Amino acid sequence: MFQKSSPLSPLSVEEQHVAGHDDVETVVGPSVHVEGDFASEGNILVKGTVSGNVQTTKRLTVEPSAKILANVRAGDAIISGQIKGNIRVANRLELTQSAQVLGDIMCQVFVVEAGALVHGKVSMKGMDMEEDKTEKTRLTKRPKVREENEPTEMQVNPI
Amino acid sequence: MYVYLYDEILKQKKFDGTVKAMETRLTDYGIAGKIIRLQQFTNAQAVIEDEMRKGATTIVIVGNDRTFGHVLSRAASCKVLFGFLPVGADNTIADVLGISLGVEGCDALSRRRKVQLDVGWVNNRYFISQLHIFPHTIRVQYDERFIVSSKRGKMELVVCNLQPFVWKGKGKQEYVIHPQDGKLEAFLRPLERRGLFGEVYEEPSVFPFEEMTVTSSSPFVMEADGKETKETKVTIRLAKKRIEMIVGKERQF
Repeated sequence: MFQKSSPLSPLSVEEQHVAGHDDVETVVGPSVHVEGDFASEGNILVKGTVSGNVQTTKRLTVEPSAKILANVRAGDAIISGQIKGNIRVANRLELTQSAQVLGDIMCQVFVVEAGALVHGKVSMKGMDMEEDKTEKTRLTKRPKVREENEPTEMQVNPI
Repeated sequence: MYVYLYDEILKQKKFDGTVKAMETRLTDYGIAGKIIRLQQFTNAQAVIEDEMRKGATTIVIVGNDRTFGHVLSRAASCKVLFGFLPVGADNTIADVLGISLGVEGCDALSRRRKVQLDVGWVNNRYFISQLHIFPHTIRVQYDERFIVSSKRGKMELVVCNLQPFVWKGKGKQEYVIHPQDGKLEAFLRPLERRGLFGEVYEEPSVFPFEEMTVTSSSPFVMEADGKETKETKVTIRLAKKRIEMIVGKERQF
């Protein structure tokens, strides 16, 4: 949409090349407060406060001073600020050392830097491992409970 | 048939040489036409509609960004092909359209590379280049979905269509607006403080949008294509593919 020199971001240099950081489309400034559901088709850079759901199919970057007080959905996300709500990221979620998340996380690739704080459930896609086997066997070995009306062998009348 | 709308600044002696050279080049290309000289209060829409009735197929604006905005803010509703020949200073739109200054601009005009451009619509009129709301306590609602306000109170708002937004904060950061992306760009800059050497702004927030409503409890000053008005409520919309325009090969979109 427009070209702009690269703003500050916790992305590594290699990743900036891959992701093409020049195409940040929506920027929420440091003293700006956004109220309501906030959706964009491009990259979002949050430096201020957002009280409402944030949604993008591309990359979401939350700067250290930023706050999001609702659920977040993004293609990729780099979180350095505070989020009070559930996070659902389709690909890669990165929490830097200043990140604070109060809510459940769902993503495919999860990168956490030392110092990041998470309070919630983390689920990741692509799990091949089967469910816990001891739990399964316990369930299968449990004696069958007959229902009251179910006929037993003894109750079957000969024709 | 080509009709050329000359800005009144072209009466100045310093432009005589450029204008004569341009007219010669246009005659060489076989696209010379009728020349109309615009005055400050000329209603461009009425002039263009009149010329269209007489058989004009291409209207060429000759001048600078101000001329471009002045003509198209009224005449964007006219279903005719527009061209632009930039002359003199203040020609940022020409760069975006890929049209060279002066005589070289005639080359782009003769090639007739046509594109349809989006324009902005504000309170019953069009704006082509840029809309500016000076620092004021405003509340902005985007696409009827979310509201943006500033903790600092006063904010400046710039909506860009064709004219690039230049933020003179930390160095000169220049944004190039793509007029055909189906969105307008709004730049919001909260006023940090008033210093000795002018106002100090925070870094801008950027929001692409299709419709925006700006409201305030007290009247604020709005400038659209160089024309200032005072408003308390403004609705800004995007008029998609409203203008058919001749552009150059080096256009920035």
